[in-house]
Amino acid sequence: MNRFLCPLFLSASLVFAGDLKIEDAWIRAVPPSSKTTAAFMTIINKSDRPVLITGGTCPVAQEIRPMITTKQGNGVMGMALAESFAIPAKGKRVFEPGGDHLMLMNLTEVPKAGSTVPLVLTAESGGVKSHIHLDAPVR
Amino acid sequence: MARHRHGDARSRRIALILFAACAVVAVPTLAILFSIAKKPASPWFGQYDPDTHPAYNFSLTDHDGKTVRLQDLRGQAVLLCFGFTRCPNICPTTLGNLAAVYRKLPPAAQERTKVVFISVDERDSPASLKEYVPFFNERFLGLTGPPADIGTTARAYGAFFRKAPAAGSDKDDYLIDHSTYTHLIDPEGNFRVLYRFEQLPETDRIADDVQRVLGMPAPEKQP
Repeated sequence: MNRFLCPLFLSASLVFAGDLKIEDAWIRAVPPSSKTTAAFMTIINKSDRPVLITGGTCPVAQEIRPMITTKQGNGVMGMALAESFAIPAKGKRVFEPGGDHLMLMNLTEVPKAGSTVPLVLTAESGGVKSHIHLDAPVR
Repeated sequence: MARHRHGDARSRRIALILFAACAVVAVPTLAILFSIAKKPASPWFGQYDPDTHPAYNFSLTDHDGKTVRLQDLRGQAVLLCFGFTRCPNICPTTLGNLAAVYRKLPPAAQERTKVVFISVDERDSPASLKEYVPFFNERFLGLTGPPADIGTTARAYGAFFRKAPAAGSDKDDYLIDHSTYTHLIDPEGNFRVLYRFEQLPETDRIADDVQRVLGMPAPEKQP
């Protein structure tokens, strides 16, 4: 599998998205009855200021929201929506199975394993919003 | 002269005290180190229970609508976990890892292994479990039942669950916080090994444990 699958297709209007790099993005294949699934990836912020990922859109779900995984001790885990994920300046954040993730909510179509879903993530830095486009394989 | 001799005696005494102090520290330290070195490492990857604790003999409904008791699974190793089918992250991760464990078992061990997923969600039904559980492996078993039976079963297995706020605007689309342990129950129906969620990606080692609990240990791996 291509480890650097997700080049960013930047539009000219973007101020800072070029400082964000996304690696290893993928979407979990889920049973056909599922209403949600999760997208995982590593987001690298090369800029000098933190970047917030506030959510996003894609053709197969109503919306994409940041979801944190909570550990409540004694092996109990849960999830909660977050306003955003902060990617630290000159840092990165890894979103992986069993941890924080970007949740594809209210699936309008359950993505099939082997297909690719285009995602548009909304990023915010210093009050400026921009969009990051990437393709995530489903597996 | 007398003072000189007195000084000699004192330094001898100090040396003796120092020697004794070193011995007091060193002897138990060495003893502990030797005992650690000699103690064979546990062959089990998960948290092994050497005592015999029978697992609760639940009676629930499987994803085909049939009644299944734990007792019906005698003779098989049972990997058992709790969850719900709307769980977008934890449960698919758990079942995905257990599917990888299952694939790594030789066919003879697969024949004697059952992965059981018990739903703690009253919205789940045999039908919703049938769409969900076999997706990970067609031989896996999804179980549901009346809330009281699910509650009793969860308690007996030390599992906890509670409703959590909905992620979206639809309040009926609530989430459930739940225990993420996986039990390995031996063919006689006893608790044998417990895995934390974080251990589940070690599918090779769990597959070894499953074979060991079946009395069919994996052949020694070549380094």
